Amino acid sequence: MAYHAALYVFVFLPMCAVVYQAAPQRQRWKILLGFSWLFFFVISGKLILYLIGTTLLTHYTGIWLTLLKMQEKTEREHADRTEKREIKRKYQKKGRSVLALGVIFLLAVLGYLKYYNFFAENVSVVAERLALPLSFEAKSLILPIGISFYTLQAVGYMADVYWGKIRAEENLFRTALFLSFFPQIMEGPICRYTDTAEQLFAGTPLKYENLSDGCVRIFWGLLKKKVVADRLFVPVAAVFGHYGDYHGAVIAAAAVAYTVQLYMEFSGCMDIVIGSGKIFGICLPENFRQPFCARSAAEFWRRWHISLGTWFKTYIFYPVSMSGVVKKLSQFGKKHGGKYVTQLGVSAIALFPVWLCNGLWHGARWSYIFYGMYYFTLILLGIAVKPGRDRILKICHIREDALYWRIIQTGKTWVIIFTGELFFRADGLRAGIAMFRSMFDGFEIRQFWDGTLLNLGLGRADFAAVAAGCIAVAVVGHLREHGGTVNGRLGQVPTPVRWCVYYALIFAVLILGAYGDGYQAVDLIYAGF
Amino acid sequence: MRKKWKRVILFFVILAMLLAGCSVWIQSEAVKLSDFIPGRSRPFVSIAAERKESIDLVVLGDSESYTSVSPMQLWKEHGMTAYVCGQPGQKIQETYYMLKTALRTQSPKVVLMETNLMFRDPGPVKNLQASLAEPARYHFPLLRFHNLWKMAFDGKKPGESVYKGFAIRSNVNPFDSGDYMKETKEVQEMPKAVSFYMEEIQELCRRNGAELVLMSAPSPKNYSYKKHNAIENYAKEKGITYVDLNLQVRELGIDWKEDSYDKGDHLNLYGAQKVTAWLGGYLKEKYEMPDHRNDPSYEDWNQMEEKYEKEIQKVSL
Repeated sequence: MAYHAALYVFVFLPMCAVVYQAAPQRQRWKILLGFSWLFFFVISGKLILYLIGTTLLTHYTGIWLTLLKMQEKTEREHADRTEKREIKRKYQKKGRSVLALGVIFLLAVLGYLKYYNFFAENVSVVAERLALPLSFEAKSLILPIGISFYTLQAVGYMADVYWGKIRAEENLFRTALFLSFFPQIMEGPICRYTDTAEQLFAGTPLKYENLSDGCVRIFWGLLKKKVVADRLFVPVAAVFGHYGDYHGAVIAAAAVAYTVQLYMEFSGCMDIVIGSGKIFGICLPENFRQPFCARSAAEFWRRWHISLGTWFKTYIFYPVSMSGVVKKLSQFGKKHGGKYVTQLGVSAIALFPVWLCNGLWHGARWSYIFYGMYYFTLILLGIAVKPGRDRILKICHIREDALYWRIIQTGKTWVIIFTGELFFRADGLRAGIAMFRSMFDGFEIRQFWDGTLLNLGLGRADFAAVAAGCIAVAVVGHLREHGGTVNGRLGQVPTPVRWCVYYALIFAVLILGAYGDGYQAVDLIYAGF
Repeated sequence: MRKKWKRVILFFVILAMLLAGCSVWIQSEAVKLSDFIPGRSRPFVSIAAERKESIDLVVLGDSESYTSVSPMQLWKEHGMTAYVCGQPGQKIQETYYMLKTALRTQSPKVVLMETNLMFRDPGPVKNLQASLAEPARYHFPLLRFHNLWKMAFDGKKPGESVYKGFAIRSNVNPFDSGDYMKETKEVQEMPKAVSFYMEEIQELCRRNGAELVLMSAPSPKNYSYKKHNAIENYAKEKGITYVDLNLQVRELGIDWKEDSYDKGDHLNLYGAQKVTAWLGGYLKEKYEMPDHRNDPSYEDWNQMEEKYEKEIQKVSL
């Protein structure tokens, strides 16, 4: 029962809304928890034990950390200045150990389930080459749905309690709801406790405006997923599945198609997720902000999968940047190497783990690690050339906001994005390299319009539907980019016109959707991560 | 606040009306284009496209049904009009709504149901999904035929030639693993959703005066004695006629070296001819099926039969 399934949209969600509304306000969060666990159980069955285990660990680690803080406060009350420093150091050490225990345990479970086979395979290969008597057998491990998402959310929660940004939640079941709220358990967004907790427990009654906004957002997401993404799945699977049979423009087209598929699917899913939350009066954070308007790789990542980027920035980049070792290195660098080299070095040290984790988070494959390192290199390169680039722009009198310059930069970013996604989707790093090479082999631009692409499983009608969907998404994206909200604008038009737009949206999904004869149900890509 | 909720109701009433209106229109268009409808939806329109009250025998089931019963042969040998409404991997929910669709325009004497689908269990979630999706598709055919718009871009592409639901498949892929119906007292469990819909199917047949007959087509890959016991017990309990052709393979003259399409999964044309020859005689004798061969209003059946014979000769060369 994925978010785009009719069962979720037309049965599960309305059922939850009805029961939620019927319950007394103070009990409503319990309804949300019950439905969240039901949702998880329907998809992952007995693996719900992992979620319950994570909840218990997260909750009691949080409580433990808060207790330590309270003990520290009590001890410090009657201590002098020297003693206070000593107490602080003692409790910092204790807190760090408790946090490390919780985090390591959570990451160990994730690591075992997600990375064990990757580790076993690679260690066995290395051991075989070195003739070492070491071998690990692959195991059939099933990942609970959303483990990569709720684990990060749990780690974030524990870290926030440790840093004193939040007080630990006292009610175990409330912590459980924070970690397992059904609209976000499968694909995020990865929320911080301060983002959602208060809203989750408020039990806001269903409101006409929230229902209407939520439903529109859900259908908008369905349009992206069913009309565009599920159609593009067909040629993408054809080319990436048999990449040896294709070359040149077809490979380039497949890379573009996959990028569009991924965006439409993931952002469409986020629309359904955010719309679902909205129905209950819960505003989940946005995960996308017109990523194809980005003018650099770094900006792209501030607009694409925002919650993951924010998580890495908060819980990896900043702690590494502010760590004692990096501070010492920075001081040493400034004394001996100059500001530019130091800045570059510090950036590299802080960015490397971020991008390594970003790659690995997507899955246990070398191509994902390559994907992370690809963006690490590009972003670092961006930092390295920035002073020189700024000087050249000044000399050539090029304005950063000039239209032609923006187009050039956006075009460059698109090339970076499409290339990255080619490696991301390819069936392994070798396949990615082979596909990248074959893109330049016999590249003929006319293949884009001479009918070659019609041999990849989609007919003219399908391409027309994809084009219509993309245009609609581009128009809405343009409005959002320029500060407008579609719902806001729709709210200003007369009701009959607004309703016509709603009906058009519903019928677009029902009529143009890639479901039924000739299409297969396509699983959510990010749910697999 | 009450005004706002009234608005919500009005919105959904208009939506339902729009859906119903579009569905009526698309259903009539789909019937006109029945030869060009691809995939699983085709039997739903092709049975609806048949002349009213012209079908004596409706055959339901999964791929075992449309690879075992040839309506044209039944016409040629007995003059009975049959239509195979089978679909690949048909689910019990589809079977029920297929029958409902057929009974909208037809009053068959016999409804013959191939039993392989009675053991198909996609699990509770998919069962629930199908139990909600099928009635939605039945009441709002827009959901079933929504892809018709594509013909405006891609043109009309005729589907596989079918003769009242039967497609001629003459390839031979022998089955050679010996006897598969070893007697046992074990009974295969039937999924709950199947039991529920079987009741509905029986009720539908009763209300429309049709006799329900269960038939297991010969298929070593799909049948066993455990399944036989399950269906036989069920049929006895409900008072339904059940014929298991897997126990009559010799009597039918099935030769697994010649009559299997894909290693014992489905029968090919030659296997289907043997099953149909026996079935025609059985139905004629037991249910006194009418003979329309000399009825001028069934002339189109004679024409189709000629075409069918020619194709059979072509593939048999």
